Amino acid sequence: MCAANLDQLSASQIAAGVAAGDFTAVEVARAALDAVEQRDGEVQAFLQVSADLAIAAAEATDAARAAGRPLGPLAGVPVAFKDNMNLVGTRTTCASRMLEGYESPYTATCVQRLLDAGATPVGKTNMDEFAFGSSTESSAFHPTYNPWDTTRVPGGSSGGSAAAVAAGEVTVALGSDTGGSIRQPASLCGVVGMKPTYGAVSRYGVVAFGSSLDQVGPFGRRVEDVALAMNALVAAGRDPYDSTSQDCPVDFLEHLEDPVEGRTVGVVPQLLEAEGLSREERTAIQQATVALEAQGARVVEVELPNIASAIAAYYVIAPCEAFSNLARFDGVRYGYQEPGCSTLAEQTSLSRAHGFGEEAKRRQMLGAYLLSSGVYDKYYYPAQQVRTLITADYVRAYEKCDVILLPATPRTAFRFGEISDPTEMYASDMFTISNNIAGNGGISVPMGVGAESGLPVSVQLQGPAFKDRSLLTFARAIERSCSAEGVVAPAFAGKGGELQ
Amino acid sequence: MKKLAEVLRDWEAVIGLEVHTELTTLETKMFCNCRLSHDDEPNTNVCPVCLGMPGALPVPNKKAIESIVMAGLATNCEIQRHSMFYRKHYFYPDMAKNFQTTQGPVAFCMHGHLDLEVSGAGAAERPDGTGVEKAGDGSYVAPVRILRIHMEEDAAKMVHVGGEEGRITAATESLIDYNRCGTPLIELVTEPDLRTPEEARLFMEKLRETFLTLGISDCSLESGSMRCDGNVSLRRRGETRLGTKTEMKNINSFKSLHDALEYEICRQAEVLEEGGIVYQETRHWEPSRRRTVVMRVKETADDYRLFPDPDLAPFDLTDEFIEHCRERIPELPDAKRERYMADYGLKKKDAAQLAGDPKVAAFFEEALSGVGEKVVGTLANVMVNLVPSFPGLTVEQVRGISGLLAEDAVTFAQAREVLEAVSQSSEDPVAYVDAHGMRQSTDEGALGAIVDEVLGRCTDQVQQYRDGNKKVLGFLVGQCMKAAKGSGNPKAFNKMLAERLGA
Amino acid sequence: MPLTREEVAGIADYARIALTDAELDEMTTYMNEAVELLEPIRQYDLEGVEPTFHPIGDLSNVMSDDVPDTSVRALPIDVALENAGASRDRSFRVPSILGDQGGDR
Repeated sequence: MCAANLDQLSASQIAAGVAAGDFTAVEVARAALDAVEQRDGEVQAFLQVSADLAIAAAEATDAARAAGRPLGPLAGVPVAFKDNMNLVGTRTTCASRMLEGYESPYTATCVQRLLDAGATPVGKTNMDEFAFGSSTESSAFHPTYNPWDTTRVPGGSSGGSAAAVAAGEVTVALGSDTGGSIRQPASLCGVVGMKPTYGAVSRYGVVAFGSSLDQVGPFGRRVEDVALAMNALVAAGRDPYDSTSQDCPVDFLEHLEDPVEGRTVGVVPQLLEAEGLSREERTAIQQATVALEAQGARVVEVELPNIASAIAAYYVIAPCEAFSNLARFDGVRYGYQEPGCSTLAEQTSLSRAHGFGEEAKRRQMLGAYLLSSGVYDKYYYPAQQVRTLITADYVRAYEKCDVILLPATPRTAFRFGEISDPTEMYASDMFTISNNIAGNGGISVPMGVGAESGLPVSVQLQGPAFKDRSLLTFARAIERSCSAEGVVAPAFAGKGGELQ
Repeated sequence: MKKLAEVLRDWEAVIGLEVHTELTTLETKMFCNCRLSHDDEPNTNVCPVCLGMPGALPVPNKKAIESIVMAGLATNCEIQRHSMFYRKHYFYPDMAKNFQTTQGPVAFCMHGHLDLEVSGAGAAERPDGTGVEKAGDGSYVAPVRILRIHMEEDAAKMVHVGGEEGRITAATESLIDYNRCGTPLIELVTEPDLRTPEEARLFMEKLRETFLTLGISDCSLESGSMRCDGNVSLRRRGETRLGTKTEMKNINSFKSLHDALEYEICRQAEVLEEGGIVYQETRHWEPSRRRTVVMRVKETADDYRLFPDPDLAPFDLTDEFIEHCRERIPELPDAKRERYMADYGLKKKDAAQLAGDPKVAAFFEEALSGVGEKVVGTLANVMVNLVPSFPGLTVEQVRGISGLLAEDAVTFAQAREVLEAVSQSSEDPVAYVDAHGMRQSTDEGALGAIVDEVLGRCTDQVQQYRDGNKKVLGFLVGQCMKAAKGSGNPKAFNKMLAERLGA
Repeated sequence: MPLTREEVAGIADYARIALTDAELDEMTTYMNEAVELLEPIRQYDLEGVEPTFHPIGDLSNVMSDDVPDTSVRALPIDVALENAGASRDRSFRVPSILGDQGGDR
């Protein structure tokens, strides 16, 4: 293979090139670090670049090849991790003052699995503080800029991972999705972002937000890259360290190119009429429908009668779980500790007051209220009952279709500060949240740029539990006909990152 | 203050217990694979899970679940097929996550019971005619319902330093050791069915014997692996409404449990009789001053924000799992006691003593193997009356001394002397007795000559005996012993003297 | 019935989040707005509907063997204390617990 820019190569091309000796993993790592160097000043996707770890991992990959050992499917592929994922040798801050400088003594299972597949860890990416947000603006450290228009947000909470991939700084990045935190920023940044079925990917070592909603998944510029990363995440089977993880014995690449002819796509008319859905995003759904029909898929209308209550259910369940999960941050064993306190109560309250940002405090306060005695029965318990209804809605819908096609986000990337009311921000996830409530998989697929805005538009596919392979097959079908695959945000394409 | 007996004539004490038992015999903690700590240096057995580090997740210990199911079956509980773990929140750094993982409204074990057999002096604490039927000797059976037994994790140990050492109120700082944090803990809650301190004490004893027999814990009240909180309230005899209860903490012996409850019952009676109010509060038992003092007044119920732990899959225990637990339950103390009484003719008290401690019972049964039928009773007697004084004894030694006693080769007093000498070594008691010329003769020929000589010499006493003063036999046995220079068996002398005098 | 400022202060106290007066005002506004957002949940007749606390299908009885792991996850003392704000010898250190709940545990 002749000299190329790293941002033009797919993950499998990089792994194949390293395996074939076309270039070394160290060369790839240096190219990736160069791209970060050249591009991240404007994007600020990263909170930390782990150059030493990247080079060491790449050297190990090259040494393995030299010794004739088999290489992993992600050999040499530059990856980034959302900063709520523990990786020994890096800081895990969750973009919070609370964890500024915190070094985890252990590595998350999802991170380890990519490393075991040969990936090169380039760094940790920015996010909304503790994943509370849809714009990455609540990061305690700095904003991240949308590579398509740096006056706009990249979405969130996994905004750093989405932006790093969109700007071509890395080939694959991991994010976590509690209510849309992978699919929404993927949509705003014009990349593929997948939230697998709850339980398919281990949550061990990923700082928890909403334990029954959180799921880790990959970003890529190609559906194939996402499939490859998914394979690495699930191939070793369920994680014995995560009680809710399950075996997902599937090869996501195997049926990627299967035709969708004769298969059924559901659309939910009610959602397409939703208030706040932009014309561009609605057009994207029409285009994707046409494309899938052109490939022989059947499009049927399905109903999700209770989906309108998903946001309400979510804003009961998620804050409650967040309050509980974040109770551990008391400044004793780790994290910010308020100096000079004479009593424990004072130290705890001030450490939490000064360590957490506004949204983190709001969510915990809401959760602490909703769980209190008397209130629990009015909100928490019924929210979990409504969850049953929403889940049942999906089950019924999937009796009529293989996947559901719907928007990923109501609108394209918004400007910094444009949405300042927290409850208004919550509407950003109106199309993604129901899937977390049900625990099903979903994927955001780029549809090129909008005619009016010039910003990335996208669609979302959702599927039944543990049928994530179908999602990738349909996503690939859309990719084939609707979006130029592997697109890097134009302002950054080719800036640094030459493979020498 | 009035005495307990007096108080309980006018007042009914309503007592409930909460008993926490650490599953000390397991290898690892409840939700991670850290070793359980027994006297380790602070923070030796810790990992991301039990330190509550960001991102760590719990996985339940299978053997702990098996243990609690066994505990439930052994206490006649209904094993709940479906249950979940919950999170119970309170901000205090002895819980690394600031919540304790415990169970919610449905525990693994619900609605059990234990029957207490109350006898002896303690039975008198319960006035006659108060809900139980007493036997002629005053003993009675008190049925005690168990509300639930649930699974949870223990907290870290905190040491409060500065000021008066160990006292929370004066401490300037506290040190936290997470070794104990995450230790599997089962909490048993009784219904308020107990009526006297003695019943409470017996319940704890019985529970401890049961858990020891199951092998799920070392059940040490002293070291805190078994901990008991007692709740007590008073109401006038005949009243059906419950009074305000207080909760007793720092109970680290059976005696403390009894005495703390006794004190508290008398204290509450005094308060009430003087027209005062009993406040719902937690009180601390001070054994040295023999009193309870207020620790904390509970003005409102604590709000722990309990909700199902989303990180832990629910449980749907299968029949197979429960049967597997049932099969692992060894013979329980009550059944064992009955068997000892039936098979070896032991008295109830002796049988209960041997059956109550699984180590003692196992030792007893091992010592019994290969022992002739005639020796069994003697061996049990040795187990009850001698062995507790000599902790180092081997089964062989117990068997040896029992054999000697059974064939009247040594007296009981001599047996004690022999065990004193051999308990520190593994020396055979038989060899010791022979080496020290302690073996007593039961040879009728040799002893008969001595008996005849004594009868010939002590004519006065013989006459007294024949006149009806049977007590004089003891004197004559003594004379025989003296003449035999200690090597004659007193029982043999006794028998021969009685035979000859009776003829 | 909206949450009062005092009630919000009580929740903050419980959740160990110190709030200034201004923050307490903002928080009270937020809490009431957020709770309003949750209204749809209260409009349902949910009689007989089982809750879904765990979106994991039929997965149950997940347990691990009682086997110690002293090498992979166990933390050496220096690592365990590494991120602590205060420690002494081998222990984590906190200021006086005076005025705290839980002292009777």
